[in-house]
Amino acid sequence: MTTENKTMTQQTTKQSVLQAHNVRKSFGTRGNVQQVLKGIDLRVAEGEFVGIMGASGAGKTTLLNVLATIDRATEGTILIDGADISKMKDVELSAFRRNQLGFIFQDYNLLDTLTVKENILLPVSLGKMKKQAAEAQFQSIAKILDIEALADKYPHEISGGQKQRTSAARALINQPSLVFADEPTGALDSKSASSLLGTMADVNKQQGVTIMMVTHDPLASSYCSRVVFLKDGNVYSELYKGDKTRQAFFQEILNVQAVLGGDSVDAL
Amino acid sequence: MSRLCSGVTALTLFDLVKRSMRKNIKHYYLYFFALILSVVLYFVFATLQHDAAVAEQGTGTMGTAFQVAGILLIVIAGIFIVYANAIFLKRRSREIGLYQLIGLTKRAVARLLILENMLLGIMALIVGIAVGMLVSRVFLLLLMKLIGYEAFIEVSFSTAAVTQTFFVFLAIFVLTTIQMVFTVYRNSLLSLFNSEKQGQHPRKPKSAVSAVLALLGIGLIVFGYWLSGRMLNAMIFFNMLAVLATVILGTYLIFRVTISWLLYRIRRNKNGHLGLENSLSLAPLMHRMKSNANSLTIITVLSAMTLTMTAAAYSMYYSTERETQAIMPFDFMFENEAGLADDISEELESNGISYQREAVETFVVPAEFEEKPAPFLERATDIAVLSSEQLQQAGLDVDVPANGEASFHDVSVSTLFNSVDLPFDLTFQDEGPTTLSITEIAQYNVLNWSFFTSQIVVNEETYQSLKAQLASETGDSALQQMDGFHIAEEDMAAASAIYQQDKYKVSEPHVDYYSSYEGSVQSNGLLIFIAGFLGLVFLISTGSILYFKQMTEAEQEKQSYATLRQLGFTVKDIMRGIVRKQAFVFGLPLAIGLAHSIFAIQAASFLFRTDILFPASVAMGVYALIYLVFAVLAVGYYKKTVKAAL
Repeated sequence: MTTENKTMTQQTTKQSVLQAHNVRKSFGTRGNVQQVLKGIDLRVAEGEFVGIMGASGAGKTTLLNVLATIDRATEGTILIDGADISKMKDVELSAFRRNQLGFIFQDYNLLDTLTVKENILLPVSLGKMKKQAAEAQFQSIAKILDIEALADKYPHEISGGQKQRTSAARALINQPSLVFADEPTGALDSKSASSLLGTMADVNKQQGVTIMMVTHDPLASSYCSRVVFLKDGNVYSELYKGDKTRQAFFQEILNVQAVLGGDSVDAL
Repeated sequence: MSRLCSGVTALTLFDLVKRSMRKNIKHYYLYFFALILSVVLYFVFATLQHDAAVAEQGTGTMGTAFQVAGILLIVIAGIFIVYANAIFLKRRSREIGLYQLIGLTKRAVARLLILENMLLGIMALIVGIAVGMLVSRVFLLLLMKLIGYEAFIEVSFSTAAVTQTFFVFLAIFVLTTIQMVFTVYRNSLLSLFNSEKQGQHPRKPKSAVSAVLALLGIGLIVFGYWLSGRMLNAMIFFNMLAVLATVILGTYLIFRVTISWLLYRIRRNKNGHLGLENSLSLAPLMHRMKSNANSLTIITVLSAMTLTMTAAAYSMYYSTERETQAIMPFDFMFENEAGLADDISEELESNGISYQREAVETFVVPAEFEEKPAPFLERATDIAVLSSEQLQQAGLDVDVPANGEASFHDVSVSTLFNSVDLPFDLTFQDEGPTTLSITEIAQYNVLNWSFFTSQIVVNEETYQSLKAQLASETGDSALQQMDGFHIAEEDMAAASAIYQQDKYKVSEPHVDYYSSYEGSVQSNGLLIFIAGFLGLVFLISTGSILYFKQMTEAEQEKQSYATLRQLGFTVKDIMRGIVRKQAFVFGLPLAIGLAHSIFAIQAASFLFRTDILFPASVAMGVYALIYLVFAVLAVGYYKKTVKAAL
């Protein structure tokens, strides 16, 4: 707790994109309630690349779903870009997701019937973005993610890594305040995984896109600027990359994980 | 552990069947519903077929009509059930694979499925026959009302109907069993696990070839429509075949190529900016067009046939009264039989039936048209000449033609004159030709049809001069005194019974308005009933097939809806795209089917002398309305799926 207070004061210079306070989430009905999140406080500043780690059952995915407005917290407040999402109605939440957030999924979740370009442009289809602006945005993102040549291909015609780049491009097309990535490398081979993570880190640095990534892979989280460890529904500790090399950061993450126990074996 | 094992081994195949049926009730209900529905409808039909009241009413044609319809019904039910079973098997392929994965042999899985199928079949038969018994009375009442039978009706339990239903569905059961065994033995484990994901990926159409085929599809249909309006010539049979062939082939090309081609062009123009609604309608449609082309073609062509059949049958039924009136302007009529006319007048009076007896004079002469008027008409013909003033006096609503002009009356051929330009000349060959100008082809007779000759009506002045010139004292063209009778509506039945006595019979056919109207109502009532029944069965089958297909699609696309909702699209946004897709899936076969049937009815309109726009529109409207219920159901199912997706 003390470390967190310290970091918060360190970072107040930058504007915060996400502020979660005392977030709790329980499942089940009366008599058989299971509390998965037990009062999480989290702040993500603009331009951060935050990794969320923890063993299976630590509450990573639940936290992501709650923060990403897909699920509702039982208790607590969540501000994204200053807006309190816990008070919004479903329709407002949908609009909020569409306009402010981006998503990258483990299974890519591309629509099979659409080409790469159509998939990427889907989120802007109901927005007010003009066709020319959308086209320009698509071209620049496709260039960054190196998928320009795939624009007219269907998902079944491209590789897993390319699918995940497409998914990433779809997440970035609206210039979201915050991108949520749920195990984005979970279904990729190691080469595609590190290539994708490298690109994500680049996008984060160069475009200033704020990213929050859930993963149980220490190698993946070594690309982050900060890693938050969850244990049994609480924030266990945090690590900052700072000026360390990625290898050193990776070692540090492994150390925390060893203390945390349990997950290091199946992560490697 | 050992106890658990023994528990598992103790599980007999029958237990497994019971368990899997209980767990899979959701998957079953679709197939079960198809089975029950088919049983109910077939049983109702069989009951009517064997019903004493129907048999009593029925003449030879009635029995034949029922038999032909019964065979059609079996074919439709068979296709419907096999199709529903195919969807059912596809949905359960993962389960079938799982049984094999845990070590059941193919033989055992097949036995399990057959056992299940048998149980389902028996339950469907019991439920279907029970429901069928309840509703068959309604259908029988409807049939009796349609054919104008007004006695008390009681539906008796028909053992023959039960046996017949049983054997028909036994045959269908054998068919579905073969289908199931085939699925189990032919498919590999892998394909069973993946079959839910199957669906072809859209491919870029080869532009030149598909452009040609796409336009050819439209061209064939247009040509078929064009030809359908011009088939009435010596090659009518060949023409009909040509129309059928071009329209069916055209329809297939429309579904197989044209639509994909058009959609592809639209999509290419969007250059990736497809938008949500198109992503949910246009894209999945293109994705599945190839596999759907066959079924959509069949559904469209059969819809067109059903629509044509029901619209024509309803038009016939609807216009029975006016048609009969057009054929028989008098309730009955005597030709040169003043004595008999006096007798019947007396008998009518003594029975307290009021009547009007009208005398009309006519003479029949040979005449020639200016040229052969239509393919099926001869140039030379015998014609009865009548005076408009006399007919008006006899209570007929005829116009008075100008001097030297005439209206032509013969309902049996009048529609063949539709393509003839008016006026045209009619020439009588006597000493020196006399020519009249025909200015009107009337859609009604002025003499009862039993006198066979075509009639022309001229004004009194022209009539008298023609009579002086053409009519002879004796022989074929002698003057004839016609005695026509008008009877008030409420006495028609009694008067008809009097007229039908043998003593008034002079020649065949011995017909009067009332009895021939009753006869027409009976045969047309039967026709509309059978057409309507088959139409309903067909409509329910095609509607259900489309609905089942959409259910399967909805389940396959569930993940897409989850993704879309997560990306921030509301249920409402997504439903807009889905409604658009449904409009396409259901609307297209309906629209093309309607267009086909409109042209078919138009081509067949020479069968009708009365205007059939109203009855045909009613039949088509009702058809479309019932059909749309399935579209609404499908949209409802999608909505449930989309809501549950996240």
